[in-house]
Amino acid sequence: MKLISAQNISYKINEKKLFHNLSFEVFSGEGLHIKGGNGSGKSTLIKILLGITSITKGSIEYSNKDLKISYLGHKNAIKHYLTPSQNLHLLFDDATLSNAFEWLEKLDLFQMQDELTANLSFGQQKKLALIRVLAQSPELIVLDEPFVGLDHAASDLLNNFFTQKLSEGTGIILTSHIHPSFECQVIALGERNV
Amino acid sequence: MFRFLKIESFKLFYKLKSWLGPMLIMILVLTAFPLSIDISQFDLEKFYFSIIVVSLLMTSFLATEGMFEEDFEDGSLEQEFLVEQDFYKIVLSKIFVYVCFIGVPIAFIGAIFSFANGVAIGSFMNVFFLLSLSNLLLFNLFAFGNALSINKGAMLGVLTTLPLALPVIILLGTAIRSIQYEDGFLEISSLMIGVGFLISAIMPLIISTALKTHID
Repeated sequence: MKLISAQNISYKINEKKLFHNLSFEVFSGEGLHIKGGNGSGKSTLIKILLGITSITKGSIEYSNKDLKISYLGHKNAIKHYLTPSQNLHLLFDDATLSNAFEWLEKLDLFQMQDELTANLSFGQQKKLALIRVLAQSPELIVLDEPFVGLDHAASDLLNNFFTQKLSEGTGIILTSHIHPSFECQVIALGERNV
Repeated sequence: MFRFLKIESFKLFYKLKSWLGPMLIMILVLTAFPLSIDISQFDLEKFYFSIIVVSLLMTSFLATEGMFEEDFEDGSLEQEFLVEQDFYKIVLSKIFVYVCFIGVPIAFIGAIFSFANGVAIGSFMNVFFLLSLSNLLLFNLFAFGNALSINKGAMLGVLTTLPLALPVIILLGTAIRSIQYEDGFLEISSLMIGVGFLISAIMPLIISTALKTHID
């Protein structure tokens, strides 16, 4: 099943074209890796796909209006004045909370659940933020630089999670400077796309 | 809507400085003022209300300072946009929670101090009601200011909306005189309720659009 389809999308900012006439589709169980240098428009493309940023030209279609998407961008969307445990209570309802705490344990954060999030390291905060995506069952996962700040063990865990989700039929779109371990389409943003 | 109310209450409860700070400042100003003048030379009960009004303006100004900034900075606004596709419910819930957690207690403190400074005890509820209503109006206005300049330091936007608060102050002054002279309280409070309903319904729409423009 086609989850998302982008047709001839273009985006320019301050008269500078970030990308021009870009077309691609993502189906269930399929991955899309968006790569490119700094400032090439990877994050912008992600935000365009999510409807946060408006495109200059082209169209984006979703399989259905209520497509369930889990997203984590550059910003972690966690509250530093709360503990990891309180952050999870804020993010999840009763049905998914136990699953979120299981991920807290898998990511070696369980013993820190009552520490202030502000006192956690950058990598630990990133892991906590990733639980937002890991503990849910969306149809499409969208991640902007998910591997930044993660140690090898957490990166492996994340790659295994991606592989499992793809086999379950979830679509994955991510930007990253390193190639993910699963097979996927690749879009390279940069001079050639302009 | 209930989900947003729960989330915003939870967040504000743990953001101690956001709700405790304005309350402490309100108490500090209202206590310090009578102490700083020679009370015996003045008829304090006649002008003490002015101090309450100015304190109310100042504390609501402070209370709304980081209303949307934090959610914008940490990416929570983007996340909520994905779920709701607009910010109307979030803004409405946030203002409601801020008014309940900060605005109403501040109004209560103001009413207590007015009573302690010579206002008739029978007027306590009227004063409390008026101050709460004024806070509802002020919080809506300052929330708008906060949303306007969210990426340039939210205080700047709150400052630019300060002139919009002047009609509220004039309205509150008129309402307070109606309590002091026991004349026309019902009319003026009805007017304030009407304005409160209108602003509470329209302002979140405007704020929602401003926030969408910022994350775009």
